[in-house]
Amino acid sequence: MSPNLLRLLSLLMIFISLSITSSLSTPSPADSPPYLWPLPAEFSFGNETLSVDPALTLIIAGNGGGSPIVRAAFERYMGIIFKHASGRASSLLARIRFLRMVEYDITSLKIVVHSDSEELQLGVDESYTLMVSKKNEQSIVGAATIEANTVYGALRGLETFSQLCAFDYLTKSVQIYKAPWYIQDKPRFGYRGLLIDTSRHYLPIDVIKQIIESMSFAKLNVLHWHIVDEQSFPFETPTYPNLWKGAYSRWERYTVEDASEIVRFAKMRGINVMAEVDVPGHAESWGTGYPDLWPSLSCREPLDVTKNFTFDVISGILADMRKIFPFELFHLGGDEVNTDCWKNTTHVKEWLQGRNFTTKDAYKYFVLRAQQIAISKNWTPVNWEETFSSFGKDLDPRTVIQNWLVSDICQKAVAKGFRCIFSNQGYWYLDHLDVPWDKVYNTEPLNGIEDPSLQKLVIGGEVCMWGETADTSVVLQTIWPRAAAAAERMWSTREAVSKGNITLTALPRLHYFRCLLNNRGVPAAPVDNFYARRPPSGPGSCYAQ
Amino acid sequence: MRGRGAKIAGVLPLFMLFIAGTISAFEDIERLRIWPLPAQVSHGGRRMYLSGDFKLVTEGTKYGDTSGILKEGFDRMLSIVRLSHVISGDWNSSGSGGSALLQGLHVIISSSTDELEYGADESYKLVVPSPEKPSYAQLEAKSVYGALHGLQTFSQLCHFNLKKKVIEILMTPWNITDQPRFSYRGLLIDTSRHYLPLPVIKNVIDSMTYAKLNVLHWHIVDTQSFPLEIPSYPKLWNGAYSSSQRYTFEDAAEIVNYAQRRGIHVLAEIDVPGHALSWGKGYPALWPSKNCQEPLDVSNDFTFKVIDGILSDFSKIFKFKFVHLGGDEVNTTCWSATPRIAQWLKKHRMSEGEAYQYFVLRAQKIALSHGYEIINWEETFINFGSKLNSKTVVHNWLNTGLVENVTASGLRCIVSNQENWYLDHIDAPWQGFYANEPLKNITDKKQQSLVLGGEVCMWGEHIDASDIEQTIWPRAAAAAERLWTPYAKLAKNPNKVTTRLAHFRCLLNRRGVAAAPLVGGGRVVPLEPGSCLAQ
Repeated sequence: MSPNLLRLLSLLMIFISLSITSSLSTPSPADSPPYLWPLPAEFSFGNETLSVDPALTLIIAGNGGGSPIVRAAFERYMGIIFKHASGRASSLLARIRFLRMVEYDITSLKIVVHSDSEELQLGVDESYTLMVSKKNEQSIVGAATIEANTVYGALRGLETFSQLCAFDYLTKSVQIYKAPWYIQDKPRFGYRGLLIDTSRHYLPIDVIKQIIESMSFAKLNVLHWHIVDEQSFPFETPTYPNLWKGAYSRWERYTVEDASEIVRFAKMRGINVMAEVDVPGHAESWGTGYPDLWPSLSCREPLDVTKNFTFDVISGILADMRKIFPFELFHLGGDEVNTDCWKNTTHVKEWLQGRNFTTKDAYKYFVLRAQQIAISKNWTPVNWEETFSSFGKDLDPRTVIQNWLVSDICQKAVAKGFRCIFSNQGYWYLDHLDVPWDKVYNTEPLNGIEDPSLQKLVIGGEVCMWGETADTSVVLQTIWPRAAAAAERMWSTREAVSKGNITLTALPRLHYFRCLLNNRGVPAAPVDNFYARRPPSGPGSCYAQ
Repeated sequence: MRGRGAKIAGVLPLFMLFIAGTISAFEDIERLRIWPLPAQVSHGGRRMYLSGDFKLVTEGTKYGDTSGILKEGFDRMLSIVRLSHVISGDWNSSGSGGSALLQGLHVIISSSTDELEYGADESYKLVVPSPEKPSYAQLEAKSVYGALHGLQTFSQLCHFNLKKKVIEILMTPWNITDQPRFSYRGLLIDTSRHYLPLPVIKNVIDSMTYAKLNVLHWHIVDTQSFPLEIPSYPKLWNGAYSSSQRYTFEDAAEIVNYAQRRGIHVLAEIDVPGHALSWGKGYPALWPSKNCQEPLDVSNDFTFKVIDGILSDFSKIFKFKFVHLGGDEVNTTCWSATPRIAQWLKKHRMSEGEAYQYFVLRAQKIALSHGYEIINWEETFINFGSKLNSKTVVHNWLNTGLVENVTASGLRCIVSNQENWYLDHIDAPWQGFYANEPLKNITDKKQQSLVLGGEVCMWGEHIDASDIEQTIWPRAAAAAERLWTPYAKLAKNPNKVTTRLAHFRCLLNRRGVAAAPLVGGGRVVPLEPGSCLAQ
């Protein structure tokens, strides 16, 4: 049914090349291990193959073991691990095995959580230990054990456990290869973020949940929600109910309850949600509901710096959002502020003259006043780097600077004692489609920062999925698999991600992880295409594209 | 934070279409925002709310639902209706005195069976009362599968009320009587060029139900890979891309079961004798020779034993009355080029063309012996149409005018003409999908009745788990309306339905389906910021 000769010819070419590389393109977890992503800090493994009971039981221990977060995660991962009908407890095959008293090597998963606190904050302990071994003299029951200080560490351990489990098509059961496993793991950075942008394109709740779920597979832990921008204001703000008139349509909105549900859903997966209200630029859509926020009807951005009303609205938004977003960081934007409108609008110009302000002074005044509002609501402000480059010495010392523009800005910010988030646009802007995975992978947030005490001020990094050309139809395949490359950079040890030839040390694992995402229903794009989110170049194995 | 200064500028193309629509009688029907458009609809102008414990009631029904198909369908309907926002409103205070409150849906099904039979009645009648009337909506159907279609329509009547934060139905009372125009409304997926994981196939099936498509044509195997387990010939799936890009027999049974519970038939295809190179990875004897590997060896009885084994295994899980035997694009040069087969041809006094016919007809007989009726691609009809078994359905893809010839000869036909209904032609816009009329130039009633329907084809050369949904949707929906809605109600100019289709595309997005923008061909990416409804 292929319509034309040309295509047939190109297909033929691909067969030929495929048959040459077919031995390379069929990795099995039984071959060179470990197919884990991101790579754990420390691990050792053996040479045994263990079978996993489809009726795997959860045994909990420790003060926090009884957390519903642990129980719900266990149920989720059971669905992921046993997704083939034949491997499931309810399947006929499994029942026959049971009648024949087939013994499985791993019959239970023990999860020990020491702390009963479920508070999820920046720097929460995400470390865990995972052991998988067969029944022997030392352990009476064949089991897997995850031990963690917090439930969030246990979640990371469960993810790793699920990556050890592979469906074996010959025995039609789930197996763990290369056991016994001993894994001791913790993240290199406490902040491992992904930005989504719901102003340029509205993303439905279900899609945001798909994104959050997929983040947990790569152990990312902060969803940076760039809610509002100049194009649309999709968010309900009870204190200023006209603001969401700036939404694209009545269907493209989030209620307060929707936002709370997203925060709850994320927390169940160990992911913080950092909300952003980008001021004073990138805020034109605010004025659809409250035109007073515009300098004038014909000059609408940045927000009118002269009016107390502007700051009342910011304070109202932040008060409403404080009830929804418990994360200690709150993003106030502050980037790309073009102050021409202030210069060109009579009443603003007069106000500037009255205070003897340049437009730059007014920009600083605006950002600092917004910072104080956030701080009064017990938030730590995050601002884009222009605020630091323009008036760094005046920023509140608690400010976290988010890099995007200049490659050495984190170096400069930490030298001044500020904390910093690395998001260099040349590498970690996912909307830049011409950045292939290896460039993403090789970007080091600590480059040029040698002093360990300064290194600590780099709290992590973030990949940014700006939404100008990414809606529901393409957002996940633009994020994945490249976000995974950054995720390993931020999770694994610096030695592990910096040494050797990544074509050998990382690429086969990334291929494998991309197919794992596909198998879990996440539409991660081919790894090998130079441009992101392009379709596969021809027929072939997932593991070879 | 952005490298470029994007501004809202050019949603112009679509706006132009909207304007064009308003000028020429923006029909009431287009404002209904139901896709595909039902056969008959009337409505009022009142608002009702869904109760927070909206119930399924089945008093007076003949259908026992021991399989739970109706209950599950109802629960799925409710969860997709509630998917787009958290329902936090107090529904009891939503109506004036509770009279505007819908307590539930009363479903009455007159057939007691839930066997999914091809051609069975898919009609339904849906009544949503006005606020003054009894507090249950009513759904009547002959079979549970008709009721599932009714549930889909009901889900499209439901909207989230942003003030009260409950689900509402506008324009009540509703009176909808509906049935499909064609009994075969298909979508092809191709798991040989790229393996599609189980959750991806299930997502495709779910999305099909939203557009009331009812046949998943599973092109399982092709030249590139053989991913399915065949118990009778256990080495066949050695032809899979890798040890993990496979479907167990149980996986296939699960897909069939998953689809059946949603009213969708699964049409399995093995494409013989061409498009079968991957078979020989496990059984090299199926190749003419090591260096000439396609089509399957016509001279070897083993070839037909393997086909018999496959179809015997198929008959245990693929319960649809049809099986697809392919038969397209057969390049027979390998047969003459292989001395052993050349000799066999000579002995049997067969040309290559005759051997092709011999192969297809013998495969047809095997399928018939397993109780299947056969579907073959159109080349079989073009080359030896008069020899095909009378139970053959000819599947069009290549030639215009084929449907006329096939039905004139008395055979049945499925329409998939590539220029309009091949989804892998990404330069084909949705308007072409919408305008493609299966009965074009066929006036004779008897001939018309031989056109079972049509199918959009998602060939997999450039399609994997990462781009399948946005390549299928929304264009498949345009074809789905063509196949469902009465001819007289279809827009003569596809652009008249743009607004309604844009709404359906956004509805798919809200349900987590990655349907692409409308502006452009297939799988287009939004060019700039904007509303889902305007792109």
